[in-house]
Amino acid sequence: MTLAIVLVIAAVVALVAILSLTVSRALQLSSDARLAPQIQPIDVEAFRNLVDPAEDEYLRRRLPASEFRSVRRQRLLATAAYVKAVGRNAAFLIRIGQSAMQSSDAHTVEAARQLVNEGLLLRRNAAFALLKIYTVWAWPSSVQSAVSILHGYEQMSGSAMLLGRLQNPAVPVRI
Amino acid sequence: MLSAHSLLWHYLWVAPNLLLLILALILWRRRAHRDFFAFFVFAIIGSLEQLTLYACDVIPSVSATTFWNVLWTGLLIEALLKFILIDALFGRIFGPHPPIARLGKILIRSVAVLLVLAASLLAAFSRVSNPHWIVAGPHLLEQTIYLIESGLLLFVFVFSAYFKLRSERVALGICLGLAVSACVHLATWAFSVNNGSPQVSVYLDFLNMATYHVCVLLWFYFLLLPHKVATKSAVSVPEHNLEVWNREMERLLHS
Repeated sequence: MTLAIVLVIAAVVALVAILSLTVSRALQLSSDARLAPQIQPIDVEAFRNLVDPAEDEYLRRRLPASEFRSVRRQRLLATAAYVKAVGRNAAFLIRIGQSAMQSSDAHTVEAARQLVNEGLLLRRNAAFALLKIYTVWAWPSSVQSAVSILHGYEQMSGSAMLLGRLQNPAVPVRI
Repeated sequence: MLSAHSLLWHYLWVAPNLLLLILALILWRRRAHRDFFAFFVFAIIGSLEQLTLYACDVIPSVSATTFWNVLWTGLLIEALLKFILIDALFGRIFGPHPPIARLGKILIRSVAVLLVLAASLLAAFSRVSNPHWIVAGPHLLEQTIYLIESGLLLFVFVFSAYFKLRSERVALGICLGLAVSACVHLATWAFSVNNGSPQVSVYLDFLNMATYHVCVLLWFYFLLLPHKVATKSAVSVPEHNLEVWNREMERLLHS
């Protein structure tokens, strides 16, 4: 009977999760027009500084081992906060891109497709980066790199700009 | 009313399968069956299998052994069709997005392996609901199939939600119908396998049949009702600061 209870609970949880995801997605569709203001500006320079291996190496040489671990953990948590913000922005841009894919203009559709694919890549990389960051947080003496995230974000920003230009050439885009 | 072979029982067994067959015929007439071929095949074979099983149940000359053999065969065919359908839906939702298509394939295969292992373990430790293996076996097999199916569909929904992917309306509808049906069937079969009461089993049969009826109506809604077509881009361009950002990007890229 215990097995039955476990399975019934699992089935109910799965059903509730699937229904709530479907409903929340339907609600998202109606709010796509309000997405752009939700994009959080990101200080790329500060992020680049945080993920710079030379900075880590400098701190490693300058600080005692225990203090280095503590400082590195703080830097890793700050990096994680940036990566989460990048991932959120990627999600908003994916949604904006998907809405723009309904455009009748072929150039806009192509730019939107590129934005969506780069957004997906960045969101995937952000997820992997977070995994890596938290792994390194548990073992702060190892070497960690989030440079690919920065590169991905830069590429995606370029796509969003192109899409913005195509949709409305007179208005520049902030991402 | 809530007893086996009541009018409602006959209706709930026959009507959804006839409706599904009609849906397949409508898709064929509209030439839409090529777009959703896996669903089209599932609709035809699944409904014919259920109608055959119904006929075996109500025709007195059909022996109990024949009925259970037909049930076994039907279950295996239906399971195969459902997994082919889930694979086709997965390809349709994630295939157009190369950055996550490969990752998705790796993950769904891993999830499938874990689900098969979990379902096999659960089946091994589940209580046998009937002393005759030909009767108890299908119950366990259904529990196993629905566990794997629910898990795979949950993965499809979670993976697509994480990446904020807006699934195609028809693919979403088919997935939703399959998922609702699989989750409810999983709960009822798990309860039924581990609870020997025949009266409870009859009630659970009604719940299963009613749920399947709702799912068929869902498929009608998603496959046949026209959806709103956006005539122009629905999203306005975000507020601007392009020049500053461009300068910043140039400086970062060339530093």
